Amino acid sequence: MRWILAGLLFALAVSLAIGTAAIRADNARYRHAVERIYREVHDRVVEQQRLAVDRLAEATPERLAQTHWRQLLAEAQRRQGQLQ
Amino acid sequence: MKAGELARVRFAFGLLGAVPVFLIGWLGWLQLAHAGTIDRGDRAPLRLLPATADRQARRSEIVPAPRGTIVDRHGSVLAIDCETYEVRARIVVPKKHRASVEAFRAWLRGLVDELTLALVVDPELADRAEARRQHQERLRKVLARAFELADLPATGPLPAEHPVRADVLVAADVDVLSVVEALRDLATRNDALTFDFLRDHHRVYPDREFTYGLVGHTDTSWAVMPGATTPSLHTFGVCGLESFLALEPDEAAVRRFLKDGSGQPYFLAPLDEPHVPTVLHTTIDIELQRTAVRELTRQAEAGAREGDVRIPKWGALVLVEIATGDIVAAASWHRDEKRGQVASFTPYQSLFEPGSIVKPLVFAYALEAGVVDWSHEYDCSPGGATYRELIGSLGRASAVRDDHTCGVLTPHGIIVNSSNIGASYVGLGLDREQWRDYMRFYGVGTSLGLNLPHEHKGGPNRHSFDAGISVRSFRANSAISFSFGYELSVTAMHVARAYLRIFRGGAAELRLCRGVELDGRWYAAPAPAGSGARFRPEVVEAVRAAMVDVVSDEPHATGFKLHGDMLKEQGIDLHGFVAGKTGTAASDVGIPDRGKVNVRNASFVGFVPADAPRWLAVCVLQKDDSARFYGGSYAAPPAVRLLLQAKALEDRRGSRQEPLRSDASNRSAPVSGAADGLPGDSGWSVGLQGQRR
Repeated sequence: MRWILAGLLFALAVSLAIGTAAIRADNARYRHAVERIYREVHDRVVEQQRLAVDRLAEATPERLAQTHWRQLLAEAQRRQGQLQ
Repeated sequence: MKAGELARVRFAFGLLGAVPVFLIGWLGWLQLAHAGTIDRGDRAPLRLLPATADRQARRSEIVPAPRGTIVDRHGSVLAIDCETYEVRARIVVPKKHRASVEAFRAWLRGLVDELTLALVVDPELADRAEARRQHQERLRKVLARAFELADLPATGPLPAEHPVRADVLVAADVDVLSVVEALRDLATRNDALTFDFLRDHHRVYPDREFTYGLVGHTDTSWAVMPGATTPSLHTFGVCGLESFLALEPDEAAVRRFLKDGSGQPYFLAPLDEPHVPTVLHTTIDIELQRTAVRELTRQAEAGAREGDVRIPKWGALVLVEIATGDIVAAASWHRDEKRGQVASFTPYQSLFEPGSIVKPLVFAYALEAGVVDWSHEYDCSPGGATYRELIGSLGRASAVRDDHTCGVLTPHGIIVNSSNIGASYVGLGLDREQWRDYMRFYGVGTSLGLNLPHEHKGGPNRHSFDAGISVRSFRANSAISFSFGYELSVTAMHVARAYLRIFRGGAAELRLCRGVELDGRWYAAPAPAGSGARFRPEVVEAVRAAMVDVVSDEPHATGFKLHGDMLKEQGIDLHGFVAGKTGTAASDVGIPDRGKVNVRNASFVGFVPADAPRWLAVCVLQKDDSARFYGGSYAAPPAVRLLLQAKALEDRRGSRQEPLRSDASNRSAPVSGAADGLPGDSGWSVGLQGQRR
């Protein structure tokens, strides 16, 4: 009986060792994934900052007026073309 | 169990039990008995400890802190640091491509093409072909230098000692997601490449063309920083608000991560302390700033369309909120220098003789000092008895003249007609000490206190107050000249501050910075203690009423043409709505390569609403020829249009036809421009940003 117990204990010790190693490996794998996501998120933060400033600059009254004016000119040309 | 079986089982389990004992023993043997060191030449020996192994897995990246953000009075961004990447590549040429020089070169050519394709993947690129050509050319040079391609023969085997690995800069200021993803993807596909995406910042100025002089710009150069021994690249503000110390970035932060045996990073922790950039709240209103730049440019360049008439040499336009001294807009224009970044900023850097726009200042001071009776009538005719008695008898070298012949005028009429003779009579009532006090009270020749670099202070002529000059000579020359704005030089902002002091007292100062937000806490810019000496209300009222009548349909009023033009152009009767004073002065100034040149300064100072002044504008244009050029015709229109726009914008915001981004009426109202001291200096009041709203 004691030999069976000793065997079971040994099996437990080996299982623990393998389990610990597996968990550690999985932890490292997840950390790799987290690191990748962390960097991807930061890439998007950089993009978001750029777009925020770009779009803000495009939305000044002057630029909106210019855009509107260009659209009006294009529309006027289109209608003039239709009349001719 | 038989004895033999028992022995075998004991043996087997004993063997299994010996395994962990062996492993523990081996570990102890390795980590303790053999925990020695590795000799590394000149460097300290590497101790073979578990901590050493852990340390070698640790990595960190330096994340530089952003420079402070500059916003206008409603929170619109004027300057901001946006994050970017500096992309560097570690390249190791694969062994199979090291066989010959041809293969080596071909592989590098292919790499350049791959890198270039990744860099031009941005879908919003305007001219992709041109961008690709530029990147290709640059990267070819970079790789040729890194791999010493110039030293290689045209053909044959690659020399044994030739470099096959290099660390190169692929691109700086990369902030487009598609480019970043393309580069990361390239690194995944190509084992010979490892990219380092180093965090960096790129300064962005929305509305750049409108804010060059006020917001200023930064420069990056090598400098030895305090506490350092070796030079490093440092970015610093060169001019304008960018030169304020509060915008200097904090210390760089460190982000820690780990690397596995194959060099792949894995997560350990985010940034130790995320950066929160300082926010500098200015008094500028970007809407009105745009209007100011546009109006000044339009007026300054209008002359170019009039045949031989040369356009002005420079111009300045300033708009100030009287209640706070806030500089809401300031525009600069140069004929000979269109690049805003290198041109001086005329509102506080270009000096001029102000001419008649000082008359209300002189009259207000004289009335307060009791040397003028507002109901007294002066004979302002050029050859009259009063002229002979008061001016002619002093023996002044040059006669005092008026633009048009004036008769008998009260002080009110002298301002409306802008009579130099009448102004001289009033000015002669002030003694030398009073004139000195006049300069001090209005801040002529003293700093604006905005802490902007390269400010020009101007002031009275160097010898005007020399002790050696007799009282008679002072009266004959300086006192008379001061009365109508000669023998002293000012900037447009100095004029604005002087007028501000009429309404708000001798301690009133202009303000360009409302405060700073540091780590979420609000520090208001310090306010001066008290308002200083103030004019009596009846003095302010008398001068204000005279300035109201300057802009009227009275034929001799100097704002007559302005009044008529605006009535015709916009259908607005300015009389009673806009008040002001025109000025025209002719001076000799030294211009590089041209010597002494006679210039004419057209200036105008005005305010709205005329009955309860809220906005104050000063406009100056200087022309370096003798063409007709008057304050009422040239300098007044842009200033008045800006004032009307300020009023209209305020009315529009008041009726909530457009969104309000901050409650302007609730803002703290410290009155000082001193803003580059650090919060915590005396005078900076502290509060939570949330409480300010």
